Amino acid sequence: MGEQKKTFVVTRFDPDRDDAPTTREYEIAVQPDWKTLDALNFIKDHVDGTLAYRWSCRMAVCGSCGMMVNGEPRLTCKDVLSQYGDTVHIAPLANFPVVRDLVIEFDGFMEKFERVKPWILRAKEKAVEEGTHRQSPEQLADFQHFSMCINCMLCYAACPVVSNEPAFLGPAAIALGHRYNLDSRDEGNGARNQVFRGDGTVFSCSYANECSEVCPKKVDPAAAVNQAKIGALLDWAKGLVLPRGGPE
Amino acid sequence: MEVRRHDVIIVGGGAAGLRAAVAIADADPSADVALVSKVYPMRSHTVSAEGGAAAVARPDDSLEDHAFDTVKGSDFLGDQDVIQYFVEQAARELILLEHWGCPWSRNEDGTVATRAFGGMTTKRTWFARDKVGFHMLHTLFQHSMRYAQIRRYDEYFVTKLLVDGGAVRGVTALDVRSGELFVIAARAVILCTGGGGRAFPFTTNGNIKTGDGMALAYRAGVPLKDMEFVQYHPTGLPRTGILITEAARGEGGYVRNADGERFLVERDYGVGTKAELGPRDMISRAIVQEIEAGRGLKGTYGEYVHLDLTHLGEAHIEAKLPFVRELARTYVGVDPVHEMIPIRPVVHYMMGGVDVDIDGATDLPGLYAAGETASISMNGANRLGSNSLTECLVFGARSGEKALEFARGSSDASEDVLRQQGAEEGARIDALRGKRKGGEKMAVIREQMAAALERGCGVYREESSLEEACRALAQLRGRYADLGLEDASRVFNTELVAALELGNMLDVAEAVANSALPRKESRGAHTRKDYPHRDDQNFLYHTLCSFDPGGPRIGKKPVTLGRWEPQERKY
Amino acid sequence: MSVPAHPQAMAPSRPGRTRTAPPQRPDQAPFGGRYRSHTLFGATGFVYLLLGLLALEAVWALGGGSASWSGFQASLASPFMIAIHAISFVSVIFVGVRFFRLFPKAQPPRLGPVRPPPAPVIIAALYAVWIGASVLFAAILAGGIL
Repeated sequence: MGEQKKTFVVTRFDPDRDDAPTTREYEIAVQPDWKTLDALNFIKDHVDGTLAYRWSCRMAVCGSCGMMVNGEPRLTCKDVLSQYGDTVHIAPLANFPVVRDLVIEFDGFMEKFERVKPWILRAKEKAVEEGTHRQSPEQLADFQHFSMCINCMLCYAACPVVSNEPAFLGPAAIALGHRYNLDSRDEGNGARNQVFRGDGTVFSCSYANECSEVCPKKVDPAAAVNQAKIGALLDWAKGLVLPRGGPE
Repeated sequence: MEVRRHDVIIVGGGAAGLRAAVAIADADPSADVALVSKVYPMRSHTVSAEGGAAAVARPDDSLEDHAFDTVKGSDFLGDQDVIQYFVEQAARELILLEHWGCPWSRNEDGTVATRAFGGMTTKRTWFARDKVGFHMLHTLFQHSMRYAQIRRYDEYFVTKLLVDGGAVRGVTALDVRSGELFVIAARAVILCTGGGGRAFPFTTNGNIKTGDGMALAYRAGVPLKDMEFVQYHPTGLPRTGILITEAARGEGGYVRNADGERFLVERDYGVGTKAELGPRDMISRAIVQEIEAGRGLKGTYGEYVHLDLTHLGEAHIEAKLPFVRELARTYVGVDPVHEMIPIRPVVHYMMGGVDVDIDGATDLPGLYAAGETASISMNGANRLGSNSLTECLVFGARSGEKALEFARGSSDASEDVLRQQGAEEGARIDALRGKRKGGEKMAVIREQMAAALERGCGVYREESSLEEACRALAQLRGRYADLGLEDASRVFNTELVAALELGNMLDVAEAVANSALPRKESRGAHTRKDYPHRDDQNFLYHTLCSFDPGGPRIGKKPVTLGRWEPQERKY
Repeated sequence: MSVPAHPQAMAPSRPGRTRTAPPQRPDQAPFGGRYRSHTLFGATGFVYLLLGLLALEAVWALGGGSASWSGFQASLASPFMIAIHAISFVSVIFVGVRFFRLFPKAQPPRLGPVRPPPAPVIIAALYAVWIGASVLFAAILAGGIL
């Protein structure tokens, strides 16, 4: 087994001790089939137990381990380490406040997420006794890929608007709201489109498409945001003529 | 020390925990529920489940069939009253989830599709492509956001159950972000923290599955039930242990040895015509035997066999198993459309857990448990695939309602008592944080614990290796007290959390090994080389394992039989 | 290597229990990697402003009679004006290409039973219409037809 060494330049920050984040370097032997997360785990287990970061499933489905690797937002459990040269820079996810080392504060995301009402909104709930809603495979295909979001927030790190406009709802939140707008069982388009036109409006999106480029799950949030723009606009126009109704 | 008050505390925010919270909020909109989880709920390990959730949905299926499949799958150790209630409620829960937005895969006519699964006589496994756990968890979590009365404590690690006057009165919880310890008082606590697969070296489980809830109950004097029954999922990837869902076999995949033989068909491993869709314990045993017979393939990370999906075609795989394809390509560099996937049995699920009755109640008043954390016991000695996700919903809901009822009739402990207990716990945690003088390294103890479990409590067990495992684990417990830690920070100290988790895993490991030793028979997932047959005469009971400073105390609890007397388990 | 983002980027509505380090951009704004295209896109607004002012000037010149209109047309031949028009041409192509790339994504998944055609088809159609209309207008303005 070929043993190669790499140097990891890792951002460190402890608010009780540091005014601002600094970096520390770790040189370790790496295996050819490692993901970047494997290197972090090795460093924590055998070199420096004080390194703090989030991870759990290690199979790219829980969304915990998003970080900046050589300046790019990556899911470190999926990120192939061998693609990098001798030096690898690991930093916390961009555009988020940093709590400690590689750990970001993402309550800001959770708030934007809740604002888009990511649940089935109906005027009247269906009774359990009536069984499931009928939904054809075509109707399911309408929104299925938008429902694949693992909330890893790499898209927020990549979006230039998120860097500049704190109020912007952001790719994942809009994509998840739009997922419910497209779901045939939902009746909440009106309420959600009002959120889409309100504070942090979808119209702040400047067609950068960076979000879709970094998404590890091929959710294509750029598609959702731009579809949401049209949906919100049509809804507004309709609202000028017809009375507003629908569940809130 | 700050004391917060709620009606009910739920520890753990996965399928069971979220379902319990919603059940309480639906039952009583004025109820105040605390959902305390060491991770944000969408990170819970429910998210990685792939295959499906079972419920009777088709006209050619029956509750009796589902119940019997489950009883037989459990090797007749499952409690039949629990199983009966489960099959009756299963469809209702999955329908509710559909109403809440779960994107179940559909038939052409718009009804929910079902697929075949191991040990099930009919197609009754509802699925959402091959990411069911992901969709169920996100649906439940997003639905739970509607309820203002579900108060979330995200990234709070519960360290201890507070008991006073013979009942549970709350918990101490470490706010991981600030390092501050809180007392959260409530009249009922529901443990929904999942299992403890991370104590083993090869597991499908994520980093967070460290048996925290089981250890909390254990330390509070509540017995753990049937801990010896650990499920090895037959198809995990080598090294990482990442799960390749049973649905891959459900959709027609084959398992082949080094000679390309479908050994589950060609040789007699007790699975009969079910072949690759036999129950997990039998298939795992078959794979281990093939490898021991020299018909396995040798790789850098041990021996394995092959899962063959190449005959299914790209269209079928993309439609039904897209996540499997992605995992195989990402983690072993194999495209299942063209090549066979290397697989081996890995620890996946614990049938055992906190001893609870059909209401999810333990013998400690106010303490409940649901999901993988609990042993209620629905799964007995072996769980059928796709029963667990439904179990989380059915018994998450029931234990939520029962815990609320109990809380309504119960009383609060005095704040002074709680503060006092909280202060003691705070001192213990502070002493652990950044404890520099210890000579033992966490990674070493963890690896040795895992190795002991692998040697003693693998797919095949025997007296000497079990005794050795019990001894090794007792010794590791002693060495754990001498742990040396580097991180003295208060803010987001993951090393401290890992140390607490390691303590929990040692408790779980001790319970597993010490429960396995006295069971001198083979039943379900517990297979003894020295006692290869099932012995209903002497061992038709649930094992209880209770904490004792001198070493675990083993007890027995009768199995609730019902419609079916134990019979030979052949497929 | 990293540059501060807006100090309130992704900030929660209430501060957390511990002090945080401020959010960092992934790249050097305004012209690093991800920002280059975004900044240029925003900058095309300035181009539209100039063209708008030019249109106003054209209308004013028209209102002043045929002499002032001829004077205005002559002024368009200056190197400065040609440069403005060249930059506008590049900007319009830039925005058009960027918009066309995204246009298929912005379509709803389907209208009733009808799904939109695949992205390459939509994009090809857009270019066809754009180039076709541009050629037609150029021919008309050059006096070749009409």
